[in-house]
Amino acid sequence: MENNYHFSEESINSSISFRSLVNATSYPGRHFQITKLKKPNILSNAAATILITLCDNESNVYLSKDFSTDEVKDWLIFNTGAIVSDKQNANFAVGDWESLLPLDEFKTGVPEYPERSATLIIEESNYKKIKCNINGPGIKDKLQIELPNPELFINNSHLYPLGLDFYFTNDLDILSIPRSTKISVTNSEY
Amino acid sequence: MNDMSKDKNIDIQIYNFAYLDENTKRMIRRALLKALCIPGYQVPFSSREMPMPYGWGTGGIQVTSACLIPKDVLKVIDQGADDTTNAVSIRKFFQKTANVAVTEKTSDASLIQTRHRIPETKLKEQQILVYQVPIPEPLRFLEPRETETRKMHALSEYGLMFVKLYEDIAKHGHIETAYAYPVKTNGNYVTDPSPIPKFDNPKMNNNPAIQLFGAGREQRIYAIPPYTNVKSLDFEDYPFEAMKANFKCSICGSSDSYLDEIIVSDDGKRSYICSDTDYCKEQTQLNSKEEDQ
Ligand SMILES: [Zn+2]
Repeated sequence: MENNYHFSEESINSSISFRSLVNATSYPGRHFQITKLKKPNILSNAAATILITLCDNESNVYLSKDFSTDEVKDWLIFNTGAIVSDKQNANFAVGDWESLLPLDEFKTGVPEYPERSATLIIEESNYKKIKCNINGPGIKDKLQIELPNPELFINNSHLYPLGLDFYFTNDLDILSIPRSTKISVTNSEY
Repeated sequence: MNDMSKDKNIDIQIYNFAYLDENTKRMIRRALLKALCIPGYQVPFSSREMPMPYGWGTGGIQVTSACLIPKDVLKVIDQGADDTTNAVSIRKFFQKTANVAVTEKTSDASLIQTRHRIPETKLKEQQILVYQVPIPEPLRFLEPRETETRKMHALSEYGLMFVKLYEDIAKHGHIETAYAYPVKTNGNYVTDPSPIPKFDNPKMNNNPAIQLFGAGREQRIYAIPPYTNVKSLDFEDYPFEAMKANFKCSICGSSDSYLDEIIVSDDGKRSYICSDTDYCKEQTQLNSKEEDQ
């Protein structure tokens, strides 16, 4: 092949987005940046990037309350072919923290296929944040981060190797808490 | 080439970056992220036909294709060497289909695809090591049925594996398995490290880099995230030992790298050289610098 070939913009962009997701998933509790893209206003760039990079016509996506608009649905279906679904069948879910609760309606996988579980994309909102220590795969020693309702993440990590995997998204910023992350609360008043 | 499309105005061809089409990549990428969330668990995926036969690292190539970005610097090794046919053809493939920079230096590479070795040079955060895997299921030789091995993993039923290792000890006084020596990842899944020498097993433990595994024919992807506990299976009275030949490299003089045995003369005289050619070059350069001083 000569050197006069060009790569599709879509394939270049998706590769860069995915690499950020690999890094974020590999190093839980750390902040990684993704690049801007065209998307509905209510979605953060980071949440939109996760959906557009990973979803296709086999993906069930749950859009919680405020995110379940025609604009978001049209954008999602046009760009990915994904199916808008209920909580129980969701492979991906997007929403602010309160609107995704309770978590126990989401799929956590089955012992033979633990990967058949939901990935939750939590958009930044005014939820109450509690200081936690985290450790586990991808974390050198330990890290301190803030999580809403740590007890729910602790319960989730007790399901391991089953469980939900989380991405916290805020504008261009993404941070992951996979099921393998162990959480302890540092704030004694909690 | 795959999925060629023509631009109407200018006569140039538009290709998918790194060969695979976007739909295939999405499926592989979802599998890779779940694999990172469940260290050591084998995620099934639909392997695609690649323009090389199975046994040539088609699983690793698909993982690399899904992870590669334009600014990557790629290194490909086969048994530690960058210049073998397999390594050269994979490196050329990605130069052609992704136009990425390539290197032989472990420390300069952002993504390394490997067959049967882990580089001697310590890996760094955000470096990706992609392993080519022939048989991803460490229990396969004990149990041929996939439904059964899945159950065994689900229930952490690894007794048979330990029995097999212990039989080795009973027969030979030590564990015979020298390659693809099974490990336990994150205290949970027994995992096949691919046919690396057991000398390399300790490098998997608590490594700052991202370790991804692709098995093309068997259609499995698995991962060991950075800073993950990886323990070679052993017994209290027979602890795991990462042995190597007790010789020095005849080129660089290193006594702590993994060595290949070579026959150097017609009368069968033997010699030992580093299996990791980049490491050997580096050590040789270090030696000559020291001599200069
Ligand atoms: Zn050497």
